[in-house]
Amino acid sequence: MISRKNIVAILLGIELILNAAALNFVAYSRYVTNNLDGHIFSLFIIVIAAAEAAVGLAIVIRFFQIKETIHIDEATQLRN
Amino acid sequence: MFIEFLFISSAAVTIACAIGVLVVKNIMHSCVFLLGSLMGIAGLYATLGADFVAVTQIMVYVGGVVILMLFAVMLTGGKDFISRAQNLLGLPPSMGSKWTYGVGLLVGLVFLLTNIQLIKGISQSLPTNEINNGFPSTVTQIGHLLIKEHVLAFEISSVLLLGALVGAAIIARPRKQN
Repeated sequence: MISRKNIVAILLGIELILNAAALNFVAYSRYVTNNLDGHIFSLFIIVIAAAEAAVGLAIVIRFFQIKETIHIDEATQLRN
Repeated sequence: MFIEFLFISSAAVTIACAIGVLVVKNIMHSCVFLLGSLMGIAGLYATLGADFVAVTQIMVYVGGVVILMLFAVMLTGGKDFISRAQNLLGLPPSMGSKWTYGVGLLVGLVFLLTNIQLIKGISQSLPTNEINNGFPSTVTQIGHLLIKEHVLAFEISSVLLLGALVGAAIIARPRKQN
């Protein structure tokens, strides 16, 4: 039911996972360590997720230009 | 009381929209559900007293990443996304269903509560040296940490963002017509 073959949907799932990790960092920073290092970690996770989204979506657009689809099973070779 | 209500509504929006991202077939609706989930996570950050991270979450994710996702969906969408069906309200699907409006209302509520929480935390207390229940503003401390202890990661992230910018522009450039 939740398995997706669309590359953009896979990227959406990656964003959710990164957000879960960042939320865990902030929660531990609040209730366990009692300093602000978790906030710094969350900010860097947000930065890296933004960079990953930009590059990933550029790759998706390039893939669509070449293959005319964004189905993940079509991605089988590094160059055409 | 207010903080419990903010936590419960934010957590409900986050979990429901995250399930919606995974279950919904239409990729455009999936992106909009992701927007709701990220907004709920910003509310959870506000619950935890992380005001700067909450604002950054809203600015970067909701204002940047989801819009980028929507552009990618629209640039790569084929004919299979277009349907002529009507929803329960008798509107075309592009106008949204009552689920869409319900989720939009809930996300707007969480956004409003998040803003109230952030403004209340900033206005009612000065920056202190510990995280307490009054939720002082963390911006000053985060600025000091970024410039002093974590300055190397800060600089490396600037190089990373430059590399990502140039790389994305190179990868997505138009193909040569030959």
